[in-house]
Amino acid sequence: MNIQAKTKTRGIVRGGETLKQHRDRLMEATKKTKHYAGLTKMELRDSDPIKYNKLFSRLRAGVVDARETSKKIAASPIVEQEGELCFTLYNAAGDAILTSTGIIIHVGTMGAAIKYMIENDWESNPTIRDKDIFCNNDSLIGNVHPCDIHTIVPIFHEGELIGWVGGVTHVIDTGSVGPGSMSTGQIQRFGDGYSITCRKIGENDTLYRDWLHESQRMVRTTRYWMLDERTRVAGCHMIRKLVEEVIAEDGIENYWKFAYESVEHGRLGLQNRIKAMTIPGKYRQVGFVDVPYDHDDVRVPSDFAKVDTIMHAPSEITIRPDGTWRLDFEGSSRWGWHTYNAHQVSFTSGIWVMMTQSLIPSEMINDGAAYGTEFRLPKGTWMNPDDRRVAFSYSWHFLVSAWTALWRGLSRSYFGRGYLEEVNAGNANTSNWLQGGGFNQYDEIHAVNSFECAANGVGASAVADGISHAAAVWNPEGDMGDMEIWELAEPLVYLGRQIKASSGGAGRFRGGCGFESLRLVWNAKDWTMFFMGNGHISSDWGIMGGYPAASGYRFEAHDTNLKEIIAKGGEIPLGGDVDPEHPLWEALIPDARVKRDKQAITTEAMFKDYDLYLNTMSGGPGFGDPLDREPQSVADDVNGGYLLHRFAESVYGVALKKAADGLLGVDEAGTKSLRAKIRKERLAESVPTKEWMAKERQKILAKDAGVQVQQMFAASFKLGPRFEQDFRKFWDLPEDWKLLEADLPIPSYGREYTMDLSELPDVKTVQFVEE
Amino acid sequence: MDTARQGRRVQVLGIDAGGTMTDTFFVDSDGDFVVGKAQSTPQNEALGLIASSKDGLGAWGMKIEDALSEIQTGVYSGTAMLNRVVQRKGLSVGLIVNAGMEDFHRMGRAIQAYLGFAYEDRIHLNTHYYDEPLVPRRLTRGVVERVDMFGTVVIPLREETARKSARELIALDVEGIVISLLHSYKNSDHERRVRDIVLEEVKASGKDIPVFASTDYYPVRKETHRTNTTILEAYAAEPSRQTLKKISSAFKENGSKFDFRVMATHGGTISWKAKELARTIVSGPIGGVIGAKYLGEVLGYSNIACSDIGGTSFDVALITQNELTIKNDPDMARLVLSLPLVAMDSVGAGAGSYIRLDPYTKAIKLGPDSAGYRVGVCWADSGVETVTISDCHVILGYLNPDNFLGGQVKLDRERAWKAMKEQVADPLGLSVEEAAAGVIQLLDSDLRDYLRSMISGKGYSPSSFVCFSYGGAGPVHTYGYTEGLGFQDVIVPAWAAGFSAFGCAAADFEYRYDKSLDINIAVDGPDDQKAASSKTLQEAWAELQERVLEEFAINGYKPEQVKLQPGFRMQYRGQLNDLEIESPIPSAATAEDWDKLVEAFNDTYGRVYAASARSPELGYSVTGAIMRGMVPIPKPKIPKEELGSETPAESARLGTRKFYRKGEWVDAQLYHMESLTPGNRITGPAIIESDATTFVVPGGFETWLDGHRLFHLKEV
Repeated sequence: MNIQAKTKTRGIVRGGETLKQHRDRLMEATKKTKHYAGLTKMELRDSDPIKYNKLFSRLRAGVVDARETSKKIAASPIVEQEGELCFTLYNAAGDAILTSTGIIIHVGTMGAAIKYMIENDWESNPTIRDKDIFCNNDSLIGNVHPCDIHTIVPIFHEGELIGWVGGVTHVIDTGSVGPGSMSTGQIQRFGDGYSITCRKIGENDTLYRDWLHESQRMVRTTRYWMLDERTRVAGCHMIRKLVEEVIAEDGIENYWKFAYESVEHGRLGLQNRIKAMTIPGKYRQVGFVDVPYDHDDVRVPSDFAKVDTIMHAPSEITIRPDGTWRLDFEGSSRWGWHTYNAHQVSFTSGIWVMMTQSLIPSEMINDGAAYGTEFRLPKGTWMNPDDRRVAFSYSWHFLVSAWTALWRGLSRSYFGRGYLEEVNAGNANTSNWLQGGGFNQYDEIHAVNSFECAANGVGASAVADGISHAAAVWNPEGDMGDMEIWELAEPLVYLGRQIKASSGGAGRFRGGCGFESLRLVWNAKDWTMFFMGNGHISSDWGIMGGYPAASGYRFEAHDTNLKEIIAKGGEIPLGGDVDPEHPLWEALIPDARVKRDKQAITTEAMFKDYDLYLNTMSGGPGFGDPLDREPQSVADDVNGGYLLHRFAESVYGVALKKAADGLLGVDEAGTKSLRAKIRKERLAESVPTKEWMAKERQKILAKDAGVQVQQMFAASFKLGPRFEQDFRKFWDLPEDWKLLEADLPIPSYGREYTMDLSELPDVKTVQFVEE
Repeated sequence: MDTARQGRRVQVLGIDAGGTMTDTFFVDSDGDFVVGKAQSTPQNEALGLIASSKDGLGAWGMKIEDALSEIQTGVYSGTAMLNRVVQRKGLSVGLIVNAGMEDFHRMGRAIQAYLGFAYEDRIHLNTHYYDEPLVPRRLTRGVVERVDMFGTVVIPLREETARKSARELIALDVEGIVISLLHSYKNSDHERRVRDIVLEEVKASGKDIPVFASTDYYPVRKETHRTNTTILEAYAAEPSRQTLKKISSAFKENGSKFDFRVMATHGGTISWKAKELARTIVSGPIGGVIGAKYLGEVLGYSNIACSDIGGTSFDVALITQNELTIKNDPDMARLVLSLPLVAMDSVGAGAGSYIRLDPYTKAIKLGPDSAGYRVGVCWADSGVETVTISDCHVILGYLNPDNFLGGQVKLDRERAWKAMKEQVADPLGLSVEEAAAGVIQLLDSDLRDYLRSMISGKGYSPSSFVCFSYGGAGPVHTYGYTEGLGFQDVIVPAWAAGFSAFGCAAADFEYRYDKSLDINIAVDGPDDQKAASSKTLQEAWAELQERVLEEFAINGYKPEQVKLQPGFRMQYRGQLNDLEIESPIPSAATAEDWDKLVEAFNDTYGRVYAASARSPELGYSVTGAIMRGMVPIPKPKIPKEELGSETPAESARLGTRKFYRKGEWVDAQLYHMESLTPGNRITGPAIIESDATTFVVPGGFETWLDGHRLFHLKEV
């Protein structure tokens, strides 16, 4: 009896703890000592640094290799060509040891899923056994958006759990209300598509048939779905095998030590980098982006969602002299009835991704950085919603717009320390997303999501222009892919792919430019498409006088008559929409129904063959005053198609003249006087800050602002009392001045009544941040 | 081997013209060979070649004129074309693409902004950069036309736009014109018509400008790869052709009668007159692989792991069942390409790699940059301040500081010791020997893991492979990167340093052509469909066969002299990556034939990825047909000498040197490599030295020299 009882309580983790006991012990020790898992000393690393490095290097190479190999199984260009996949190795507690490249934000999100299984006792039901396979895409427990599908496999050694491996791919469709992985029409998660919560989908390394049948009919693009899953499973199994080999060679004791010491090592690595690269103090910045839903072309099911709002993300970074730091997002606006909300884990993991691109681009990137960072995300904000109805399908709309501010904050610090090359004026708003679906050229049900915007312009540094059409904040290895591959995946032929002039922000060093693709609908049936981007607000600003990148816009043309025009040999739209303020294409298709405006978010519109769709990719913001830019660089930009001629004069103050070989050269004298004139005009326009503030204060008192702006501040005040106090103090507002959502002429459902996931029976959510 | 002899007839010449040294490899009618070395002369490669030849032939006591008149075959490999591309010193080329897409070449693929980067830099955005495009935007023109992915015309070609483009480019005095239109691999009508129009315009202009249509060269999907590769033909291959012509002439002036062939990326050699010369962009490292393959064929090794360490990199290639693995969309010089390349993986870690500690994490970082020919801190005149792998070698007694490159460079152990202490040992709290040995161990283990993952990535285990180790620094590390992997055998050829040139001399005359196909069939497709698919594939093979035979005809070979081997590329329907499969049947016609092709594919797929990744329910696509044609040529004879005593002659002993490994200093016995004779058996710790390489046999290992002058290394 005694023996039986003992067997019953023995947990699956190596040494006999249950997963929950194991994690609790680690977290307790972390809290108490401020060192991960209480590791004030790193035994393996200190006693045998060579072995430690060997383990690291072998495991990391294996994880990277598994990603490179397995992605060739996929059919989806998003995975195969854009590299939207990632594999990560975890210790038993679900903390990441090391990761491949790719969409590394999921280092955190898959870890959150593992932790959810731990906290909710998956160990006893549905049980966790060797060779099990789990699947998760639940955004309420940490995923970024439902289209990122996780495959999670436990790793056992001699019958005991010693870790986990997770693989993630961005699938092209999750069966949401509209086609495409990041669809826009739904306003609650019930419309977001298939949602899977850490479900056991296979055992003995084999997927369950019920899972295969069910999951395939839950999505539109079954072939992509199936091969993506095989990609993830194959990659996880390769890594599991690698771990087994490493243990066979170096011993389980060493591996076990390594699995925890490496996390502490990562934490220390971050701390040291912060010490080396930044200046202690407080850094404040803010991000905004538009949600223009009060428009005919945004068709949502509920009237209360049909409002124009603005996302607000003020942030304060506090860097302490010992290299620890804290990020506080007090004052952020509330979650909303749209698909741009984010879970706290995706928000914080994403910031970590951003940091790996500038602050900690070392090989030692793992969950240590998460343990080295304190976050405060007020509950109820869009980055930490308190309602289980919220939708997530394109949380990136808010995420990229909020994070770009952090680049500016950190860059000021790098600049102060003299790391001029590390300065980055901010990430581009990674859009537009061309999405849609219907029947494709193979006469199959289809959905598309062009990932061309994995190659946007990069923010300028303090010594050079940002590079063009090159990167996305969510995947440092950006790529736009080959047109011939996109044409296999989409019933849309290219009529243009061109660098987008003036899309990068101006500056002494300009932001990298994005590009644009003009697509002709071809061989599509019952087809729809929509836009997803930022049109009214430029979310990435530029620093030290640098200009923001251009915001996006939409161009679509229906009933173009292009079939006849082509047959007659007439001129047709080709290449880029060079200067949207002086459009040329409309004249070529005079009978067409054209939509050209700043409504960069739409829902499914019907398209047919010979209709046109312009997909524009953003540029990055600039650094420094454009008047300080080397005039010849401005001439080169105009000659090279990176800058519209008219902005050479108006923004850069550079006068150009015809030079040899038909190109433009600098008119030195003209430039000198033009720049002097602009400087004079600036002085003439400027007013003392005090005067300006007095005027603005009057406007605030009179509530002389758009309803969207008022709603945004009202929501921020409600969730961020300290933010409100600061605001009042700064503007010296009287006690009786109140800004309340209830007083505004638009609905604000969700303002008073919310119900969090944690309120469901038998659910223990894991809290990762201060709320 | 290398003694003067009357009546020696030299038959084969292999050349490896590297960045610093030019190696020549001569083979006589008995299969004996000799290696010559000289400094490279990039301005006029012929000079270095002649000097190297004189050096090699001098060892045989021969004059260059006497030797050259007899030679039937000369194979060249070198880095000149690659350097021309890297340094952007090619010709001024005009590019014609689809109107509206004129930017795509200069936009590149964003992947080109971080190709070849280490992990840390791949994720470090501010380090990414683009190289200058091969063709500037101002030399790019667009023609109005569109063809879709099925090959259907969407917009008919507007010929006047082609004519205008041609005239403008001709007026700009371009030295070549490349044409690449979307989906031309599928339907080449428009692209060919544009080509003909451009040719007419060139003719009318009275100028002599070569024209390159992508469909005539690399008709495969992915426009960036295809366009880059076709541009290389115009940009870099044409000047190389001139170089080769010059070399050919220089040799003819010295009495030769043969035409040079060049080692190509697909692993065969092609004539310098061949149309697709861009595929000779890398050739030196390929030579080593071919040499290993040839040795394997002669000696009966069918699975070989080829490993080559030089100053800057570790290159690994696999030969399975006597076949090379071919990669079809490789990258080279930070360009994505579409030419068949012997799959060779490189780690940026070689003897010259720098050793650094990450200042924040204390992680040990090897490379990726390297001191190259400057060796390390141990060479006082080098100006190098950061310690390198070679410094560790010197500290630990692996290398003879007084006999580096035959004594040309004197190394200072004390200097290396001090630097190692300050930069690595002290910060890690280790002694200098521990730190240096630790770094070597780390490098060895990186290389070993790499070798292992490459083999297991193909679905094999090392126990079914023989590992060949060569290159200047290969034999120093052979024991380290093979230890514990359980290779069937580990072999170090006595001529390891000249192995690439040897490979060139051993290479077949081989042409290979590829064609994109799009055959789709369900898993349970009816027999008539399968038969039709077989027929389509067969038609493609026939077309490619004709092209292969044409190339041989230029060089005077008749069809019956050419051995043909068809292949195909297959994937599960809807996938984006295919696998190259050597056809198990010489021709295809029936449903049964089709099933055989499918079976070969399924086998390979399960091995490369995982059995669970097989997806036959999706059906199959054949995406490409391949035809290889080979003509055998006289090859170096692998020496075969009688085995003698196990004990090396006294004269081979060079004394002892202190050697550190596994925490202790021991006395290693030194040997002179050239003085060892077949049958000699040497137990570690021992170091076998020659001018160009050092073979380390630590304690716990032994080696014996067989009758083919191959050292076999094994753990005892």
